[in-house]
Amino acid sequence: MPELDELESRLDALVEGDFQRGLEVFRSKLKEAEASYLNSCVHCGLCASSCHYHRADATLENVPAHKLDVIAAVFKRNFTAMGRVAPGLVGARTFDREMAKAWVDAVFGRCSLCGRCSINCTIGIAMPRIFRAARAALGAMGLTPSDLQATVDNSLQHGNNMAITQEDWVETVQWIEEELQMEVDDPEAKLPLDKKGAKILFTVNPREPKFFPLSLQASAKVFWAAKEDWTLSSDPGWDLTNYGLFNCKDDEAGAITQNLVDAMERLGCKTLVIGECGHGYGAARWEGPEWLQKSYPFEIKSILELMDDYLREGRIHVDPSKNTVPVTLHDPCNLVRHGGICEAQRRVLRKSVTTFTEMTPNRAENFCCGGGGGQLSMARYKNRRIQSGGVKAGQIKDTGAKIVVAPCHNCIDQLMELNKEYKLNVQIKTVAEMVADAIVTTA
Amino acid sequence: MSPIAFNGTAVEQNEEGFLVDPSVWNEELAVVLAKAEEGLDQLTDDHWSVIRFIRNHFNESGNAPMVRSMCKGTGVPLKRIYELFPSGPAKGACKLAGLPKPDGCV
Repeated sequence: MPELDELESRLDALVEGDFQRGLEVFRSKLKEAEASYLNSCVHCGLCASSCHYHRADATLENVPAHKLDVIAAVFKRNFTAMGRVAPGLVGARTFDREMAKAWVDAVFGRCSLCGRCSINCTIGIAMPRIFRAARAALGAMGLTPSDLQATVDNSLQHGNNMAITQEDWVETVQWIEEELQMEVDDPEAKLPLDKKGAKILFTVNPREPKFFPLSLQASAKVFWAAKEDWTLSSDPGWDLTNYGLFNCKDDEAGAITQNLVDAMERLGCKTLVIGECGHGYGAARWEGPEWLQKSYPFEIKSILELMDDYLREGRIHVDPSKNTVPVTLHDPCNLVRHGGICEAQRRVLRKSVTTFTEMTPNRAENFCCGGGGGQLSMARYKNRRIQSGGVKAGQIKDTGAKIVVAPCHNCIDQLMELNKEYKLNVQIKTVAEMVADAIVTTA
Repeated sequence: MSPIAFNGTAVEQNEEGFLVDPSVWNEELAVVLAKAEEGLDQLTDDHWSVIRFIRNHFNESGNAPMVRSMCKGTGVPLKRIYELFPSGPAKGACKLAGLPKPDGCV
């Protein structure tokens, strides 16, 4: 397997200075609480059944507490008195080639940073924070999986994570505008580009213009129906994704966030609206100000909140009888458990479809689809990604729904693969696509 | 993923079924990939039209075309492309055209 061979050769090339640098970065990313968590796990085992990796494959390596132990062993050896004096007594381990490989496997290969173990932990250990610190350390040692890093590099070099040129982006926007005008039979229906002073700057996932533009058309139809004053940016600042959340190099994550801030300033918009994307929302809304070390001088919202506002204020009207196929809803971890956007999408869906069935469990207790944490980009872990997604596939089957709505393009791609692998026979759609199909213009 | 047998040679794929070496691709291999990766027993003229367009674009520019270009260049409507390739333009069509896996949320 080429990706694993490449990892082995990178591990072989490590020298003492690399391990030292990794340890320094790891320590620098831990706040006091997180450092204390590294000595707090009581091995109660409750986290095992909370993790979709472990539910799909009950091996020791998939128990979150075990993944934490792999990290904590190195921490203890280097940063605690007992670990230095009597490493064998406290399970402390030297950070060497073998442990670096174990770290890579634990935090890149068996974790989607979904955080479900954390909320089911008796002590409340913030696992994703610690695993992100470990990913940052591995990054400083040159051990970030190359395909994950390539996605970040695209954003840094091209302003979007799929290296789409400005010409291609603009042409697709104009094409979707024509399609929308035909769909709603209104030559004034627009996808405005670079409209200075527009109230809203709308951002999308590059996957939409590149391969799946119908979701962009659906969002634009909702804005059209609401008579919204909105715009897209033709320059960097149209892409809401930020895989810096997953390679955990905060300087790179901050530079990507800066594209959004610059576009807001250039266009003078009041509200930055994040399209349907879990990690993009989490990165822009919650992490961005931390990375940039400053507050935004503008409001930031998810399009889910905006559609909820439109329906409540009567700015758009929907007829649920236009959506009669049974629907269920997936809760993207970064949007719901980490992001706090929980009820808006439910209110919107209940108004827009006739039959809505919740998965069990749902909301903050949802299971990850298996594609989060950058897993979708790391080809080497594909089999684990599909296997761990079996938990989500089972949840979907149990609802009997024929449409799975997922307000996240990353989750949608994983759900498309689960659909094929587990023969779910469902359609997968965004919330905006459901709303767009239900819109009635003669209220 | 185990290499697939093709004309007496072993063609290497990554874990997701994309070719490790895009330069080994040819149209006979596309037929094998279509069966193995997409469950397609036969490729229609529309399939070939899209696959060849993607391949030519890749040969010229080194990356995957926008789905907009695929529609414009082949005359195959967007919704038809989704029907032709069950895994979509990236994990379906581009894979059969022998491209490396695109970066991003795919």
